[in-house]
Amino acid sequence: MSTTLERETSQIQPERPWAKQNKSTLVANLIAVIIPTTLLAILFFVTEIPGPVLVVAFFFPVQLLTAGVTTFFDRGKRGIGDAVLSVACVTSFGLVLALLGSVVFSVIARGLNTLSFSFVSQNNIYISPTTEISYGGVGHAILGTFLVVFIALIIAVPLGIASAIYITDIRGRAAGFVRFMVQAMSGVPSIVAGLFIFAAVILTDVVGFSAIAGGLAYAILMLPTVARTAEEVLKLVPKDVRDAAVALGSSRARVTLLIVIPTAKTGLITAVVLGIARVVGETAPLLLTTSNANNTNLNPFTNPVATIPVYIFQFLGTGYETSINRAWGAALVLLLIVSILFALTRLISRKKREKQ
Amino acid sequence: MTVTSSTLETKSSYPEPRYFGREKSRTTSDKIFSGTVIVSALSSLFVLTGILVYLSTNSLPIIIDQGISFITGSNWSNIEGEESFQIFPMLYGTLFNAIIALVIAVPISVFLALFIVFLAPKVISRVLVIVIDVLAAIPSGIIGLWGFLVFTPVAANWGELLNKYLGFIPVFANDQGQYARSPFIAGWILAIMIIPIITVVSREVLAQTPQELIDASRGLGGSLSGAIRMVALPYARGGIIGGVMLGLGRALGETIAVFFVLNLIFDVNFYQILIPEGGNIASMIVAKFGEATPNEINALLGAGLVLFVMTLIVNLIANAIVKRSTRERLS
Repeated sequence: MSTTLERETSQIQPERPWAKQNKSTLVANLIAVIIPTTLLAILFFVTEIPGPVLVVAFFFPVQLLTAGVTTFFDRGKRGIGDAVLSVACVTSFGLVLALLGSVVFSVIARGLNTLSFSFVSQNNIYISPTTEISYGGVGHAILGTFLVVFIALIIAVPLGIASAIYITDIRGRAAGFVRFMVQAMSGVPSIVAGLFIFAAVILTDVVGFSAIAGGLAYAILMLPTVARTAEEVLKLVPKDVRDAAVALGSSRARVTLLIVIPTAKTGLITAVVLGIARVVGETAPLLLTTSNANNTNLNPFTNPVATIPVYIFQFLGTGYETSINRAWGAALVLLLIVSILFALTRLISRKKREKQ
Repeated sequence: MTVTSSTLETKSSYPEPRYFGREKSRTTSDKIFSGTVIVSALSSLFVLTGILVYLSTNSLPIIIDQGISFITGSNWSNIEGEESFQIFPMLYGTLFNAIIALVIAVPISVFLALFIVFLAPKVISRVLVIVIDVLAAIPSGIIGLWGFLVFTPVAANWGELLNKYLGFIPVFANDQGQYARSPFIAGWILAIMIIPIITVVSREVLAQTPQELIDASRGLGGSLSGAIRMVALPYARGGIIGGVMLGLGRALGETIAVFFVLNLIFDVNFYQILIPEGGNIASMIVAKFGEATPNEINALLGAGLVLFVMTLIVNLIANAIVKRSTRERLS
């Protein structure tokens, strides 16, 4: 009885009359937008106060005031809270948009001057901070970044996915503990990961500054991201699929390896891509583990290797104009790599949604 | 030919169902598989213990030598004979920068989350979600580069204005005439990096507010802001606090972005946010590492240990809060 009642009531959509916009609200909103902007425009062109100061010191108070007054006439005293809320929300939105826009725009605008075929293909041998930009580039650093990330992938992906499998499929006694540990690990600061590998591998003379040390440090940062995303993905594999496989007599290993993982394949790829995106721009751990190099070094076990983040760090530190341009160029290359990864995750998840 | 009961039994016997769960696996391949997975799953435990063990064994002599003044003193010197490794200004600076970042980021993030969940039209809120994702994906090295070359001049300008008009408040006082590389700028840079974290967590918990409660509040004649203040925010409080703690954990451990925008001084700057003096453990490690003496390296490992323990505690508290608030909602 109660269930049918619930079903019936849940089918009736509430009207929500307060969500309807009537004419007076529209007029009030229009006035609240137009008055402050016109005043701002007039002051901007008439006086010589710089724009940003005008926006903060004049536009916001006036905007708040007009919004408050107009909503007061429209909806009474209670409307004032709404006005303050919407002004605060739109302001935060504008601020974040401006900050992100500024970051992306400056990297693209300043990086494009530097970017050329020689810049992404040449290495940094015989390049001083004042050498012209047409000589030398980040080619060695791009290869180095790929090498370090690849080593990190080899280590972190199996361990991360195994952690997720333990939590979702084996569900052993320690499942809660493993999840807790993964969460604790996701909070490890990148510099601490670098220090740890430095103390454990380089100070003990197992290997020197090298790509493998950097890969180990990156793997520490990558593992929690892969494990957490993979756990979410494996949870989505229907229980029926697992039960059906068990009913056919499969062993636990077969169920996981041949049924669950292939079912969750696209999601696991997303987990891997997110893991790469998490680490690819980290500078601090590499400063302590791979150090820096000017030549192209593809041997992961010996000698320092260059990477894009450390390249940016190196040239930003020198202070000359051409080297700062190099830093911007390298930043653009890094941003391009990150956006390709980002687009890849979007593409994968969209394809998956289309399938369903 | 009679069918005996025994043959019938053997013929109709079927493999015992293997249940997932705590039951022990029987076949060898299963044993190998479970063993491998369990060992790999414990890798995070090994790493965390490894960090603790390696950092503490290397730095223990230094920490014992310095005693409690390792974290309360403010003198750092690597000159042989008068070595002294004390990190209080860096420790305090790390917390100070993080607090400035939270003061800036928390209101912005909560308003953004409210905007996404309750106020914005669908299109804008979808755009905003992507904007937040992109902001979270920008590498810290790029934020540092931008912060150093683009943001610092602008922010220094604002710092000067703040000092000009609000300089009578001790927090905004500045008698050095320099406004670049101050905790104020470092706080903004950290805020930019933690806004995505706090916004995403707050958005998720706010979106779970039952629509009926909001409708009830609106139906009684309440305004939207009233419904948010009286219903949504109390409902999501635990999750928002958890998100803020996660942001705090990130802000404490950020290295390279802070390194470029903050002047590291071994002299505690207690409250003046606009003067170019500050501290940050992670940035100090990077700054000192290149030319460090062997003893100094061990002291830096000790500083890393302090940072690690600090962020670990903050993160565990944060995760516990988020977990508890989601469990309360589910039950």
